[in-house]
Amino acid sequence: MSPHRLALTGIGLYARSRTLPLTLALLAGTCAFAAEAAHRTDDVQRAPGWSAPVVALAPLLAAALIGASLYAPSEELDRTAVRPWWPRRLVHLLALSVLACAPTALTVPGDGPAFVAAASLRTLLGCVGVTAAAAVLVGARLSWLPAFCCVGAVHLASGGVRGWAVTVWAWPTRPGQEAGAWLAAGAVFVLGTALHAARGPRPESPRAQGPHRPS
Amino acid sequence: MSTIRVSGLRVRHRRTVALDAVDLDLGPGVHGLLGPNGAGKTSLIRVLATVAQPSAGQVEILGEDVGEPARRGPVRARLGYLPQEFGYYPRFTVREFVAYVAWLKDIPAADVPAAVDLAVRRVGLGDRADAKVRTLSGGMIRRVGIAQAIVNEPDVLLLDEPTAGLDPEQRVEFRALLRELGARATVLVSTHLVEDVAAACTEVTLLDAGRVAYRGTPASLSAVGEASGPDGIGDSPIERGYTAALRAHRAPLEPTR
Repeated sequence: MSPHRLALTGIGLYARSRTLPLTLALLAGTCAFAAEAAHRTDDVQRAPGWSAPVVALAPLLAAALIGASLYAPSEELDRTAVRPWWPRRLVHLLALSVLACAPTALTVPGDGPAFVAAASLRTLLGCVGVTAAAAVLVGARLSWLPAFCCVGAVHLASGGVRGWAVTVWAWPTRPGQEAGAWLAAGAVFVLGTALHAARGPRPESPRAQGPHRPS
Repeated sequence: MSTIRVSGLRVRHRRTVALDAVDLDLGPGVHGLLGPNGAGKTSLIRVLATVAQPSAGQVEILGEDVGEPARRGPVRARLGYLPQEFGYYPRFTVREFVAYVAWLKDIPAADVPAAVDLAVRRVGLGDRADAKVRTLSGGMIRRVGIAQAIVNEPDVLLLDEPTAGLDPEQRVEFRALLRELGARATVLVSTHLVEDVAAACTEVTLLDAGRVAYRGTPASLSAVGEASGPDGIGDSPIERGYTAALRAHRAPLEPTR
């Protein structure tokens, strides 16, 4: 199918309505940034601080891009769609999450320390979950903010704290292999994705913010 | 034959009651929905468009109870809706935006180009079909909104302030389109412009404070205005009828002095 014809199909129009081509380009840029930063972690002992941008910043940026793509300017009309929205919302979020995860999983382990890749993946999943839930609660355009606040606050609060509980609540800061951190990030991802699929982003026009929102 | 049947409808927005005990039966034709700001016109249109749910009451559209989620899909396929603010996608052309709504309405892909062309031509935007929506004037964007609402040849068409931003010539053309659509569909038009109702509607419903204050035809509403005598407020019989009907509805509610 030619690009012009694809652009007029339902899927093509949906992708453009959510600015998915731009989102994909920016996600590719973020992944390139992450890969470049991961290469610099080769000598972790010489520059221990280098893992921070890869583990925290790149997943946060990717999650913010995914969250922004959930915004629909014409959500009042979207709600009159004949087919239910939840499968589209689910596929949208999962597809972008996989696309953001794949470069990290495929490129980093061969070149850099495996724990950086594992921690990046886990942080990405957790941040996408927080961002998806935030889109439901505060709207897609501000959905990046809670994830940035959450990760920032955890980084500040978890320094020097010991014990099993910290491996769960401080999941964005933990080393890649810790089961508790994976469990927490995975649960956040599943809950955020399910909430977003079921409810959709919060309407952002005041008139549409009534108490009842049939899907 | 009723295509829209509403009984005991109640809609609340937090602590405010937007609609209370509303009963309506609407059939094919053009129905004007009049009322002051905050009367509940948009709330009623949004409930009928299945984008908001009532707190109580029953809404039946085209014989289907839209309170049941499984029945909304078939109704939506036969329903057109123009919200007051429809928040178009700025990167889309007129053709793409209307095609997007055709996709939402589940129109078969092979029929979409012809349906889009027809809808765009009916609102007089045939020569601007490939212009980006963001480059159009406010009146043209309103016409894009009307085009998306009629792309599926709806049996029920709900228009919230459709003539806002249209110039006088466009309003006259739009009234002709309304009459054409009303010949086969049930068209409900919410507006503040009583002259649009006088010119294009077959029936009129007046809402006030969430209740139906008056139901009749534009001619009967004008007759109410004529009967109000020289004390009536308004420059035309239907305007005087509008204010007289509102006052008559409010009179029993006002405290005795």
